[in-house]
Amino acid sequence: MLYKTIGRILKLGTLVSTWGLIFTVLLQIFCRFSWFNTPSWTEEASRLFFIYAISFASGLAMKNNFYVHLDMFYNRFGVKTKKILDLSIPLISMVLFLVMAVYSVKFILLGIVEKSPSMGFNMGAAFFSMFIMAVSIAYYLWKKLGKIVKTFER
Amino acid sequence: MIWILVIVFVLCLVLRFPIAFALGLSCLCYLVAKGIPLILVPMKMYSGIDVFVLLSVPGFILAGNLMNQGGLTEKIIVFCNHLLGHIRGGLSLVNVGASMLFAGISGTAISDTASMGAIMIPAMKKEGYDTAFSCAITAASSTVGPIIPPSVPLIIAATLSGLSVGKLFLAGALPGLLLGVGLMVTAYIISKRKKYPKHARSSFRQISRGFIDTFWSLLMTFIILYGIIGGIFTPTEASIIAVVYALIIGKFVYKKLNFKNVQVVLLDSMKTSASLMVLVGFANLFGYILITEQIPQSISSGILGFTTNKYAVLLLINLLLIVVGTFMETIAALLILFPILLKVAVGVDVDPIHFAIIAVLNLIIGLTTPPVGVCLFVASSIGKISIGAVSKAGLPFLLVSLLVLALVTLFPAISLTLPNLFID
Repeated sequence: MLYKTIGRILKLGTLVSTWGLIFTVLLQIFCRFSWFNTPSWTEEASRLFFIYAISFASGLAMKNNFYVHLDMFYNRFGVKTKKILDLSIPLISMVLFLVMAVYSVKFILLGIVEKSPSMGFNMGAAFFSMFIMAVSIAYYLWKKLGKIVKTFER
Repeated sequence: MIWILVIVFVLCLVLRFPIAFALGLSCLCYLVAKGIPLILVPMKMYSGIDVFVLLSVPGFILAGNLMNQGGLTEKIIVFCNHLLGHIRGGLSLVNVGASMLFAGISGTAISDTASMGAIMIPAMKKEGYDTAFSCAITAASSTVGPIIPPSVPLIIAATLSGLSVGKLFLAGALPGLLLGVGLMVTAYIISKRKKYPKHARSSFRQISRGFIDTFWSLLMTFIILYGIIGGIFTPTEASIIAVVYALIIGKFVYKKLNFKNVQVVLLDSMKTSASLMVLVGFANLFGYILITEQIPQSISSGILGFTTNKYAVLLLINLLLIVVGTFMETIAALLILFPILLKVAVGVDVDPIHFAIIAVLNLIIGLTTPPVGVCLFVASSIGKISIGAVSKAGLPFLLVSLLVLALVTLFPAISLTLPNLFID
């Protein structure tokens, strides 16, 4: 249930942010070629949409194995070494993203006192994207680890 | 302390950690060992991604995927077949020609190998071409894509160096065409020797029909280039215009797009972009550490202390990049090495635009260099043949690619004529 809900939230977040990015850039182009003045906030808004779209999608990319790696050495390892690596790679990677998640909270707190230059929103809101990225990748690494353990048990 | 960064990074790569995570983990170990606050991890990740030019990356990827959803790959192949199919070994020429046209849509070599290979390799096998040759020409021709604009590696190079995306796009056009023509000539010579088949000449009506079918994709490339070079759009705006254009063409001309498959394509494109951006973010932290340790300066003074001869330096850089490009993904290698090597190249009076083209060309040639070129792997798995056989059949193409690289390195005019002509 939680697995599905998180997946749906990330998908929705990715779609909304990407369409937001597309419409903001289109608005910027439209205003430039029409008699309207281009709003000062379009560049900042499009950057924000982009970062959120990437953050939401980064967890989904983990879920669907979009991150590239080198296979050339791995293929030469023995079965036992491969098993150990299959377990330890997601585990160690998860540590990286959990550390990032913890420090993202500090990063958000730093941003709370800052205001964005043209839209005037709290920068903590922008920095929250890094927390989403770290937590969502860590979550799917955890699920991957669970699947591997279950396979080994079988 | 820098050895911690290097050792952990190399170890993680060897052990098959995703490249982006290998960068992140090596940085984390370095920061912990040095006692530097770990808040630097999200901070540098954020600042690495928060760059306006990078917004064009998902745009171009999405536009390409939307066009492909409309069955563009098949249409391009049919058009090239009408145009080149009557020449001896026609399908091998079609393979290269289609990759050159497809370049404007896709922009990454591995996806070109996968999408072209899935259609071309079985078709070539069916007509009596050697499987190894079919796989080799598919892998080799897909390296044309990332150098012909719009090119994702060139956008990344622009982000890393502050160079103009428009200038880089123009600079990549002639080397890309040269590479394509070189591969076609080689494929023709091999086909003639092996007596590969040719088709009957297509009628003018068939060629016109094929042109009309692919015209819309060619127009997209033209709009992107004209918009950026003419100063009408920024690269980010051009990429979004390309997305809207691809949506309109896919819905009303090719009639293959609907609300549901657009969302699927969009999600897939954003996942690809996200995997690249996580890499970009960690590479920003990695680059920051290298700069604080003055590694680019050390490498630069090391190489320049060894020789200040421009061509000797370029030869050394070419060798390094080919080897790295053989086993590492193009964008990852670019993110790590380009800023360092650019400093060295500029130190011996190499134009940065010229150097960016040399770097990208090197790395994409690495994708088809045996024994571990990634495109060779993709093509051999589609053709269900050993990578050794594909590597052997691909040697003539590799030699031609290296010849083009040598020409591009020795004659800067090949890269710089178009940007100097069209942009002040």
